[in-house]
Amino acid sequence: MEILVLNGIVNGLVVGGVYALIGMSLTLLYGVLRVVNFAHGEMVIGGSFLAYVLFHAAGIPPLLALPVAAVSFFALGYVAYYLLIPRLARSDDPESMSFLMMYGVSIALAALMLLLFEADSRSIDYTFNPISMKIGPVYVSTARVVALAITIVVSAAVGLFLFATLPGKALRAAIMNREAIQIMGVDIVRLSAFAFALATGLAGITGVLVALVFPAFNAFSGPEYSIIGFIVIVLGGLGNPIGALLAGVAYGLVEQLATVFLPQALAQIVGFGLLVAVILFRNAGFMRWRVGR
Amino acid sequence: MPDDIVMELRQVSVAYHGDIRILQELSLAVRAGKITGIIGPNGAGKSTALKTLYGLLRPIEGDVLIDGAVVTGLPPWRFIDRGIAMVPQNRSLFNELSVEDNLRLACWSFRRDRARVEAALERAYTQFPILKERRKQPAGAMSGGQQRFLELGRALALKPRVVLLDEPTAMIAPRLSTEIYEFIHGLPAQGITVVLVDQNVRQCVRIADHLYVLELGRNKVDGATADFAQDEQLRNLIAEWVDYRIDA
Repeated sequence: MEILVLNGIVNGLVVGGVYALIGMSLTLLYGVLRVVNFAHGEMVIGGSFLAYVLFHAAGIPPLLALPVAAVSFFALGYVAYYLLIPRLARSDDPESMSFLMMYGVSIALAALMLLLFEADSRSIDYTFNPISMKIGPVYVSTARVVALAITIVVSAAVGLFLFATLPGKALRAAIMNREAIQIMGVDIVRLSAFAFALATGLAGITGVLVALVFPAFNAFSGPEYSIIGFIVIVLGGLGNPIGALLAGVAYGLVEQLATVFLPQALAQIVGFGLLVAVILFRNAGFMRWRVGR
Repeated sequence: MPDDIVMELRQVSVAYHGDIRILQELSLAVRAGKITGIIGPNGAGKSTALKTLYGLLRPIEGDVLIDGAVVTGLPPWRFIDRGIAMVPQNRSLFNELSVEDNLRLACWSFRRDRARVEAALERAYTQFPILKERRKQPAGAMSGGQQRFLELGRALALKPRVVLLDEPTAMIAPRLSTEIYEFIHGLPAQGITVVLVDQNVRQCVRIADHLYVLELGRNKVDGATADFAQDEQLRNLIAEWVDYRIDA
């Protein structure tokens, strides 16, 4: 039993890291742009398919796919922002409109991936050497250890950017008070485009990690990650990147430990139960910082 | 247009949600080196006028002018480059960021010019020494009055030629309010033009050179403050509209 619990903790940290990256991206988007990105899961799976294609068509291993995914998705995000988002601002209710529009984008992206890759589940047949590592009494696949290390490095880099650089502080300031940051002379359109590109770039990186950590993915896997992302940002407090990071890890741990103690079907309910409990009893999330209006 | 007018709203109408008109054909002019006061009852459109003047709201009719040039639709982040700063009514600080980071963000438009940024910070610290003492603290941890000093310091650190102030002493203790009004009163002597929207009619009338009285989004009356004091009929009108009688 003790080994199972330790296994659950290690796996919880690994998948929690992936959830944390999804949550951080979504919360940045919502905080800065007030956009509810329902297509984020599809963007993540797009990253998984990119890693798949790079490996199976060009022999590029997943670790080298990471910078490719980050840069190409960042650029795509930048273009997508200018195509999709500024027009929303003309609506009387841009948040609801963004939800509906991004839901449409999610369907379109899923359909595109279905067209390109069909409905079969895919996985990357790449193995690290050694294939697994012994951490204390627990054996963990090397792919998962590598994925955990990458999530730590990426999260730290995003955290450093947000808390130690002026553009990062401008992003946080836009989350706190969108009107005031404009009065400071910050071009909110360019800042928003950067936030959208950053979140999309992170989705690309997360997609590569999903391909490493989870057994398989397909064109319909996106909504699962979007929903987990929304749970994580509600748990962490809307617009709070550090809250999303901690909530992602916490959610991953709860989910994986629940599978140790509970039947699979019940284990899935635990995460959603946590979401309902937080909304009912602590609707600002675990952490105090909330998005400003 | 007289040479001394630096900003102007010309026949401006502003609507929320397409059809709820908050301003209706409002015109006002901001004179260089003076304090222009905008007063009126709640819902008169005073803050909306200021936001429109600063590009935060786009008029559906009429124009916004700076130095006689039409700038309608100019986004708010372009006003600082033209030497215009604003302190809005609602708290505009970034509470989780330090006092110093709040000031540094105000220097965004020239952030790569280190010497200029440091000079702007020093200017704010000289005007409000408490900000230097608390520069490492989160802005949200300061008292209401100190937060207002930070907002004023942030706007004035940029050496603007015009500053737009919306209810600068709202929710501030009376002693500090007096201090803030004295500070505002001294700004024209530093070459800074002031536009002051205020519910505190007594103080606004005391320090303003020119007054606009708004009612239901329209100009009700405007003129030099001295003229208001000398005209019994105007004084009565003001007393009726804003519940304050100007001393003769």
